[in-house]
Amino acid sequence: MNKAGLGRRIEGSIESLSGLVPALVFGFLMCALLAVLAGVAPVDLATTVWTGAWGSPDAAATTLSKTTPLLLTGLAVSLAYQTNLLNIGCEGQLTLGALASSAFAVAAAPLPGLVLIPLTMLVGAGAGAAWAYPAVWLKQQRGVHEVISTLLMNYMAIYLCEYLVLGPLGDGTAMGRTPEIPTGAVWPFLWRHGAVGVTAAPFLALLLCIGVHLWLSRTCWGYEIRAVGSSTTSSRAAGIPVDRWQTRLFVLSGALAGLAGALEVATVHHRFYRTFSPGYGFDGITAAFVVNASPGWLWLSGLFLASLRAADKWLQLSLQVTPNAIVIIQAVLLISVACQARFRSAWQFMLTRFKEVRSGYR
Amino acid sequence: MSAVGIVSLTAAKAAPLLLASLGGLLSESSGVINFALEGMMLIGAFMAVWVAHASGSPWIGLAGGLLGGMAIGFLHSVVSLKFRANQIVSSIALNLLAAGVAGMLLNEVFGVYGTSPSVAGLPTTNQALASVFSKIGIAGEPEVPLIGGMSVLIPLAVLLGLAVMAFIAWSTTGLHIRACGENPHAARAAGLPVTGIRFLAVVAGGGLAGLGGAFLSIGELSQFVERMTHGRGYLAIAALILGRWRPAGVLAAVLVFGFGQALSEWLAVRWTYLPDQVFLVFPYAVCLSVLVVRIGSKRPPSALGRL
Repeated sequence: MNKAGLGRRIEGSIESLSGLVPALVFGFLMCALLAVLAGVAPVDLATTVWTGAWGSPDAAATTLSKTTPLLLTGLAVSLAYQTNLLNIGCEGQLTLGALASSAFAVAAAPLPGLVLIPLTMLVGAGAGAAWAYPAVWLKQQRGVHEVISTLLMNYMAIYLCEYLVLGPLGDGTAMGRTPEIPTGAVWPFLWRHGAVGVTAAPFLALLLCIGVHLWLSRTCWGYEIRAVGSSTTSSRAAGIPVDRWQTRLFVLSGALAGLAGALEVATVHHRFYRTFSPGYGFDGITAAFVVNASPGWLWLSGLFLASLRAADKWLQLSLQVTPNAIVIIQAVLLISVACQARFRSAWQFMLTRFKEVRSGYR
Repeated sequence: MSAVGIVSLTAAKAAPLLLASLGGLLSESSGVINFALEGMMLIGAFMAVWVAHASGSPWIGLAGGLLGGMAIGFLHSVVSLKFRANQIVSSIALNLLAAGVAGMLLNEVFGVYGTSPSVAGLPTTNQALASVFSKIGIAGEPEVPLIGGMSVLIPLAVLLGLAVMAFIAWSTTGLHIRACGENPHAARAAGLPVTGIRFLAVVAGGGLAGLGGAFLSIGELSQFVERMTHGRGYLAIAALILGRWRPAGVLAAVLVFGFGQALSEWLAVRWTYLPDQVFLVFPYAVCLSVLVVRIGSKRPPSALGRL
């Protein structure tokens, strides 16, 4: 690449970050301000999150395992958002994927692990995809906004799973859980430390994010998808099958959320139980939007949110901060990121002034 | 509960939805997408309990609910109008914020998790009428049919709802609001302060949704329960879509959804051999299946979501 091309690329990436970075800085400052108002020193908050999430090998392993569902639901939200669809149904898709995969693993126990593990993942992803499709159908055929339909389907999925796990798919106790999945379906630890360990799942999720990033940025299909995202009308005029891309990506998004549930069963809990997801589906929205829904940067937001999630007990114990504080932090960051257009125009205004001054114009 | 009971139950279930979806209608008619109704209702519900607890009067609590909803509306309008944010993302962030803030304040104010202590709820329609009658010196016990034993907020919600519907459909200001939603450039050229009108519409809509939330906490119950809105804010937006953004259509849609909720509660005590989840899921299933039906053809306000 020649020098001018490199310079243009750098200028382009500075421009694309010129809204996001100040918005995030502003968001973190607001969080610090809120912490001060609540009587907690922001430095204490940060150090507690850090030691709680990464202070010991056990903690780090737990945090890494929490990164998996966040990366996948974040990727699910980002992928659908590439075509201007907002999938807030990850919570339901994840729950259903988890239940379907654990029920399948129990039923198909005799299969060897090499077949069982991929099949379990496929079943989870399929359940998530099936739960996502009606929303995009309603959007295209009936003009119902996907935010509404996916949210309503969240409630339906959660109640459906609750019924199934207390009834036909339960383990017969009143605990509201499925039987434990066979050991052949459990993902082995790559590295272990006492009772905790790290499986291949977070790395698989990371690979998926990178793969999707390359797919979107380096291939013809990715180009078409990004065209749909920037303008549906001009894409339609250019002959790009807009509706078909929206359907495909939305279903794929549901599949990723379902896969997150299946992985959570196969690597962490080894069964499905009531109130399975602590809000991973909604965390996915934050994970996606704080990096502008770009899959290549999801690892950053995924690790950040996983650290918050992993440190919530520490926050409660040492600072008396309730888990609700994490929701508030997420909301504040989301709001400030949503305002980034304003920050970008301020940056551009300053940049033009700077160029004028430098070129001698007063 | 008799079959007549289902009519009054429908009224009780439809009233908060009516308030919330008219709040959404105000905001969306002016061209601002408002998916934050859920958060507005939740904060309204919490503030109503908090203020009622602090002041001892459920009526002041009701005003607290109004202000709580307006606060979220204020944030939504500042973020989406002043800072030109994506209105859907802003709404979802505000719903998160409301859930977090309500949970945190519940813990800070009352020192409990999950459910607040009981506060004084609003009187029933009969009680309220009786106190009015005794004040103006009319003897006798008033008996209102159907909704007499239910919260006084039901008739108030109906009156307020009709007033808001008339305001949007027939008043000049209502026309101005709709003009901002259909074509803000033309409205601006005609000399209307588009941003100001939208700001007021969103804040007023937030107030209505907050009243809807207050209905849930101090009208139906007399306490706040975490996540007590259970997606009603989203049902209210579904009512907007089903009602094709027309006041009469919204009223009809809200009655359908209210009937769905009432029917599920009515059946839950009769068909006890069915699992609970069937009745819990019923209102959402009704909502989604009704949205599948194609009725009418009015589209959303043309400039919805655009500044």
